[in-house]
Amino acid sequence: MNVLDTLISPVPMFFALGLFAALLRTPMSVPQSFAKGLAIYLMMAIGLKGGVEMSKTALDGQIFAVFGTAAAFSFGLPFIAYFFLRTTSKLSRTDAAATAAHYGSISIVTFVAAIDALRIAGIPSSGYLVAVAAIMETPAIITGLWLALKGQSKEDAEESASDRSELAREVLLNASIVVLLGALLIGFVAGDDGYERLAPFFTAPFQGVLCLFMLDMGLNAGRGLRRGWRKLGLAPIAFGLYMPLIGATIAAVAGTLIGLPAGDKTLLMVLSASASYIAVPAAMRLALPESDPSVYLTLSLGVTFPFNIAVGIPLYIAAATLLTGG
Amino acid sequence: MPLSPEANKKLRLELIIESPALRRAEDLLQEAGVTGWTVVPAMRGFGGETRWSRGTDISESTDMVVIICIADEHTLTPALQKILTLLDRRIGVVNVSDVRVLRPGLF
Repeated sequence: MNVLDTLISPVPMFFALGLFAALLRTPMSVPQSFAKGLAIYLMMAIGLKGGVEMSKTALDGQIFAVFGTAAAFSFGLPFIAYFFLRTTSKLSRTDAAATAAHYGSISIVTFVAAIDALRIAGIPSSGYLVAVAAIMETPAIITGLWLALKGQSKEDAEESASDRSELAREVLLNASIVVLLGALLIGFVAGDDGYERLAPFFTAPFQGVLCLFMLDMGLNAGRGLRRGWRKLGLAPIAFGLYMPLIGATIAAVAGTLIGLPAGDKTLLMVLSASASYIAVPAAMRLALPESDPSVYLTLSLGVTFPFNIAVGIPLYIAAATLLTGG
Repeated sequence: MPLSPEANKKLRLELIIESPALRRAEDLLQEAGVTGWTVVPAMRGFGGETRWSRGTDISESTDMVVIICIADEHTLTPALQKILTLLDRRIGVVNVSDVRVLRPGLF
């Protein structure tokens, strides 16, 4: 498999179609509630499949090492992101902290696209990586809030913390975590027999639904980029391109030390390289309302997401295969 | 139906606010004893040199909503200061106007 094989598969091409349609100001849109339904379908599908695969393998030390490493990445990557944003750009402390949180968390759609790319490449991956994705959703939010609040006055910090119960609900019980972990558990309990009955709904249509969702993601990314790029400046845009490579490199080293096979290593790299645009923006609007959403949404959705789809995923697959001696 | 000048006089609050702060704003109204309000989605708009439009942010965290609320002045006034404080750090527009209602018993 080469980079071109990945790029000319329908999934990234539909993303590109949406992106260019939005950049050309095409009045096309996917209804919001429909797109939300598609996202839930995709998360259910990968959660179920992951759970079924997990039911066939024993939970060993390596899996727990990956869980721990993933949580540490989610906590730690925002510190690196924050350092680069503060030293290279003119972003305020709050904007830099809010943006950094996005880069510790994950993009589930990038993860799904990577699973699809691995399938095309014929590289197997383990089901438990879905649980790793869920683990990495939240810790980054805590780091981002800590980075932002340590610089605020006591009054502002108290005001930011006043939405605590709603924030906790958003952080711990957002749709991604509930659907991913719920479907994973259901798949684990149902096993192969249970999944077989659902296969006509979750296996054959999966590719088509993913293409439809990627079209919408392309539209979102293009619109975000069109609106936000002037506000960002060169340094944050460059950050949106090099930060995924930093995350992926750290994950590649950790994955090699743990002894992960190529497919699992690729997915850990993808998770570390991707940036959230669903769970973290909602948490940041609640807890850090003075942060500018056009900065972090444009960066995560308009810069890093397309980069990972077009360049990152093929690159991570190639690097993981090389490191694993494939 | 006749509009009696005093009994039918109420305050109408119109609050345009980002959806993540909606629950907080609703809590403030409920704490003040307001007996009802309506929330409607804002479709698109312009402000702070930025055009925004509903349905373009998958996280829905930048969607705006409008809260419309009619209440007695003495009920609504205590909530207004808290709503202003809520808006200190958030995107939003608030206005209050005098209105006359046809069924004053509802408010």
